[in-house]
Amino acid sequence: MMSVLLILLLLIPAAAAVAVACLGQARALLVRQITLGATIAGAVIALVLAFGLLTQRTDIKRDTYSPTFVPGSTAENPHATTWNLIDFNAGRDASTQKKLGAIQFYIGLDGMNIWLIVLTAILMVSSVLISWNAIDERVHEFHAWLLLLGCALTGVFLAFDIILFYVFFELTLVPLFFLIGIWGGPERRYAARKFFIYTLAGSVVTLLGLLAVVAVCYHKTGDHVLTFSIPELVTIFNNLLRSAEATGDRAFFQSFQFWVFLAMMTGFAIKVPLFPVHTWLPLAHVEAPTAGSVLLAGVLLKMGTYGFLRLCLPLAPDASITIGVPLIGALSVVGIIYGALCARAQDDIKKLVAYSSVSHLGFCTLGMFALNSTGLTGSLMQMINHGLSTGALFLIVGMIYERYHTRMMGDYSGLGAKLKGITFCMVFISLSSVGLPGLNGFVGEALVFFGMFETGKVLAILGTAGIILGAWYLMTMLRQVFFGELKEPHVEGHEVRDITPREIAALAPIMAGKEIRTRSGLEISSYSSCSWCPSWTIWIDHDPPV
Amino acid sequence: MTHPYEVQLADLFRHLVPEAVLIVFACALFIGGLYKADRRLWGGVALGGLAIAFLTLLIAPASQNLAGNAVFGVPLLFDQLANVTRVLALATGAIFILLAWDDLPEKQAADHHACLLVIIAGVGLVGCSNDLVALLLALELVSIPTYVLLYLPRHDDNAQEAAIKYFLLSVFSSAILLFGFSYLFGLTGTTNIAGSLQVLYGASVDEAKSVSGLAQIAMLTIAAGLGFRITAVPFHFYAPDVMQGTSTSGAAFLSFVPKIAGFIAIVRVFGFVVPAGVATPIERTLVGIGLSDQVPTLFWFLAALTMTVGNILALLQDNLKRLLAYSGIAHAGYMLIALAAAPYLSSSESATSGVTALLFYLVAYGCMTLGVFAVILMLHRPERPVETVDDLAGLSISHPGVALMVTVLMLSLIGFPLTIGFTGKFLVFFGAVSVQGPIAWLYPTLAIIGVLNAAIGAWYYLRIIAVMYLRSAVKPIETTGPLPSRTALIVCVVLTVLLAVPPGAGWIMTAAAQKALRPTQPAAMNQPQP
Repeated sequence: MMSVLLILLLLIPAAAAVAVACLGQARALLVRQITLGATIAGAVIALVLAFGLLTQRTDIKRDTYSPTFVPGSTAENPHATTWNLIDFNAGRDASTQKKLGAIQFYIGLDGMNIWLIVLTAILMVSSVLISWNAIDERVHEFHAWLLLLGCALTGVFLAFDIILFYVFFELTLVPLFFLIGIWGGPERRYAARKFFIYTLAGSVVTLLGLLAVVAVCYHKTGDHVLTFSIPELVTIFNNLLRSAEATGDRAFFQSFQFWVFLAMMTGFAIKVPLFPVHTWLPLAHVEAPTAGSVLLAGVLLKMGTYGFLRLCLPLAPDASITIGVPLIGALSVVGIIYGALCARAQDDIKKLVAYSSVSHLGFCTLGMFALNSTGLTGSLMQMINHGLSTGALFLIVGMIYERYHTRMMGDYSGLGAKLKGITFCMVFISLSSVGLPGLNGFVGEALVFFGMFETGKVLAILGTAGIILGAWYLMTMLRQVFFGELKEPHVEGHEVRDITPREIAALAPIMAGKEIRTRSGLEISSYSSCSWCPSWTIWIDHDPPV
Repeated sequence: MTHPYEVQLADLFRHLVPEAVLIVFACALFIGGLYKADRRLWGGVALGGLAIAFLTLLIAPASQNLAGNAVFGVPLLFDQLANVTRVLALATGAIFILLAWDDLPEKQAADHHACLLVIIAGVGLVGCSNDLVALLLALELVSIPTYVLLYLPRHDDNAQEAAIKYFLLSVFSSAILLFGFSYLFGLTGTTNIAGSLQVLYGASVDEAKSVSGLAQIAMLTIAAGLGFRITAVPFHFYAPDVMQGTSTSGAAFLSFVPKIAGFIAIVRVFGFVVPAGVATPIERTLVGIGLSDQVPTLFWFLAALTMTVGNILALLQDNLKRLLAYSGIAHAGYMLIALAAAPYLSSSESATSGVTALLFYLVAYGCMTLGVFAVILMLHRPERPVETVDDLAGLSISHPGVALMVTVLMLSLIGFPLTIGFTGKFLVFFGAVSVQGPIAWLYPTLAIIGVLNAAIGAWYYLRIIAVMYLRSAVKPIETTGPLPSRTALIVCVVLTVLLAVPPGAGWIMTAAAQKALRPTQPAAMNQPQP
């Protein structure tokens, strides 16, 4: 039953995308309604799945990945699937050949991806609502691409097969390329191509790293197991590491992990983005239409951090300690501070929010590479919180832009007097983004730094500066735009109105999400990661490298 | 006195019926074309010839009579590789007849199709070759009609220059190839490929050392001669000029058919597929390095150079055909990765095989590239040319369906998931990272160069998508294009998607798993040398 819902989660947006594309330009309203219906259905399903998983928490095995609700699973093994996509045994003589694996349609839920799925589903609804009036040309194409993007994003988080993961990971590029390239700002063509090439270049290197792990698992195990399933690979690889001392492969695995870590890191670091490879992000964010920005910041960047969690840490555990902590830790801290300073220097509000993403994502990676359960929990929470906060910030920037057609801070002053609703939301979200205790941002950030203090004090202290800087640029922006004497850019043709019911509807799920997460935040996320964190400590139970 | 393998040699003719059918049809076309100028009639006849050849291939004897040591005596082998090559050649031939259908003057249709059939027969024979002389003849059977083929559709200065340029360089490359063959003959004392592999594998370490200089000259000159056909850098320089100058169907032809012939010839001569019956010492289990153990190194460097140069120069191109020429060079580089890794993937424990990856990539490359050429042929009109990338602007408005298909082809050329290009690159790169052994780090390095090249390549393929979708045309394209090239385009696009997703991908895996297509692990030495 639940596994059917999981498939529907992918199928509904895909089917809706095809339907919408066929409807054509003329029936724009119907297109919007179908898209909204599909995304709401997705959100409902995601919530049902989340509560379904929460009630099943006792079933979770703690020592390895064990996705639940796997479609195609059997009664004996509910955590694996039998749905083969490409079977490497095809055509081989069954009697003489060893059994090879297959690339499978292997999707499932665990504590790590469930909240990301919910986040994606919620932000999809908001994206559709915010595009209701903003997009008026090639409407059917826009919504088709949007739905495909949602489908691909959900797929990335659901996938438990390496190749399937990569397929979805890459598939997110095409819809976003068109979303930015067709409906974006003046620099859209350049931004779209830069975004596409940047992320493609990174992810092909990641693919190579993943294939190398598959190849090594195949060659180094005694009975030559060819598998593409992530849980199996993690188990096999970590068994290999444990026995490396006995088989004399220790040196090999040390250097192998080093290279594999670097390869996987390349793609994920670009996606996050970490400091030196972040340059595609501000451009893409600023040029993208609001819906694109919301999904880009809210969900797409999480693919990078999720990739680190799902693949990089378990498949290169030693390298995560030896080079991950110093390298990623340092890059995160640089990103936190540099991103914050860049954000402070912007006059364009959208660019400010874009740079704030660079800064906030630094918290995620910093907490992750604290490599203890506090930090990992904080990192996971921060992923969701950042998705909600930044998604909402982009929504509000989009609302303001829709009213005045400018995003320059210098053009505004004292909007609070006129747009009371928007101002309330903006202040609320900014405060949570800054990490005010009582709102959701605080919990994640606090946990990240608690975790990091155990691993590296210097990194933690430097990183904490990012919180202060964050308050600085966001509060400056609030003061400039929403407070003080009213000054608004001249607009012709229509009266500027405060927040509309449609916009409230777009923001409401996000605000509600923030509320819920604040109340039960610790409980939910500690559940999310507790299904996962203990396994980390089990994986590295062999001697850590010197 | 009778020849010892008289029976086996006589037996060959039963296997050669498909090629014989093609030649008969070609003769009929040559003669018939004198009396009647009708492109529909002769196009149909040529397609019929291909169809009959295919049918005869289906009913041809499944196995060859190779009693005793006959493998060292027969000039042609009809193993799995041969059959794959012949099917590929026939399918390619059918696509080309569709592509050239409206690109030809009415008068020349018959001659063109006749030349094409001869070439297809030649490609098939390259796949069957087990003898240096037969191989050279088969390659010339491909080359000589090509000169005519390039000249027929257009007679302007550019086309003539292109034909002459191709002619001179092709002759030159054949001469170099022949030079290399003469060394191989001198080294082994036989022109039979299975025989020469047997001699080379059977040589003791001392013997191998004493002739290693000669062997390397042979290796280099053969690689150079065939490198011209596969447009490996530095033998690629003719390709962009010739492809820009000649007709579109001619360019499409040059982008693919010489590559099939060249790569299959390399697989044969270097022994990447060791013919059954060749016995080698147990310690030399690697295929493809009979001639010299430097073969993988040579292909390593050729691959790295070819894909990098191809991709970087393609970035600078505006002319579509030139861009496709450089893209073809880049893809030849990816295929060379498969060859460079192939020797180390020959054991039966290997999960993947270099030769399989190469053959699959050849098919993938053919589908993608011919599809793009079909689009150019469809939309190009003298009054509204489709010559440069910018000429495709606004295609998504005027031809949404065609634009979508071009997008699929471009994503496939990039190597994007759910297209055949991804499956091809997956097999190639998975092979490269699967190499085990002391120098294994070289191959992941090559794979990294490969994927970075794929990312560079994405830039210019993406540019075509961007032009179609993100810009509007000054003068929209109006024609819908003739039916034959539209058919060719749809076939290419369908294959591009179908062979990448289940169940099509399963068929590929099934075909790839055929034992005879995998490099056979040489059996222990238990037979006398010829």
